[in-house]
Amino acid sequence: MSDLKLRVKEMIIERLKLEGMTPAQIEDQAPLFGDGLGLDSIDALELVLGIEQVFGVKIEDEAAGLKAFKSVQALTDFIAEHTQA
Amino acid sequence: MTDVPAHLPHRYPFLLVDRVLEREPGVRVVAEKLVTFSEPQLQGHFPERPLMPGVLLLEMLAQAGGFLEPEPLHGAAIFLAGVQEARFKAPALPGDRLRLEVHAEGAFAGMMKLRGTVSCEGRELCTATLLVKRL
Repeated sequence: MSDLKLRVKEMIIERLKLEGMTPAQIEDQAPLFGDGLGLDSIDALELVLGIEQVFGVKIEDEAAGLKAFKSVQALTDFIAEHTQA
Repeated sequence: MTDVPAHLPHRYPFLLVDRVLEREPGVRVVAEKLVTFSEPQLQGHFPERPLMPGVLLLEMLAQAGGFLEPEPLHGAAIFLAGVQEARFKAPALPGDRLRLEVHAEGAFAGMMKLRGTVSCEGRELCTATLLVKRL
């Protein structure tokens, strides 16, 4: 598991208080909302705030969120993309 | 001065903000609520010992949070979606001039998170983090 991906999973677990869950239990390709982790719109806001605080990356609108929250892999790619340069 | 009833859709007996002192939409609001013996809720809470129910302190913060929105809320559907880390440290009593201070922590997809404090003469009565959803 890449270092960034691990940190993303740790942030998700900590921010959403998914107690008892480990990073290894979160699948890279599973959707964060709906069928995957089953997150809701309150969780979405918590994640937006967490990503900003931990990684310094802003998710500006719903379109960006739709792309970033597809899966842990998508979120990791999104953060990597926006922290380069 | 901000016209409270023009901004909030709430009415008697549930309009719980009397005055807006400071307002920076999207960032911060300071408002006031004056508590009196004649509050309808205090008639039953409690007849021998009137004090503002804690949940109404949360409602005051949510209503004060309505002033974070730049536009009036008439016709808008706004709901309390979550309450986190609420603490009630002292009761609000008749005669109290309550200071309602709210700070926006962030917003995404119609959901807003705000941190609020109810205080009276410099004493904290209640602190809470609220999630408010606009549909």
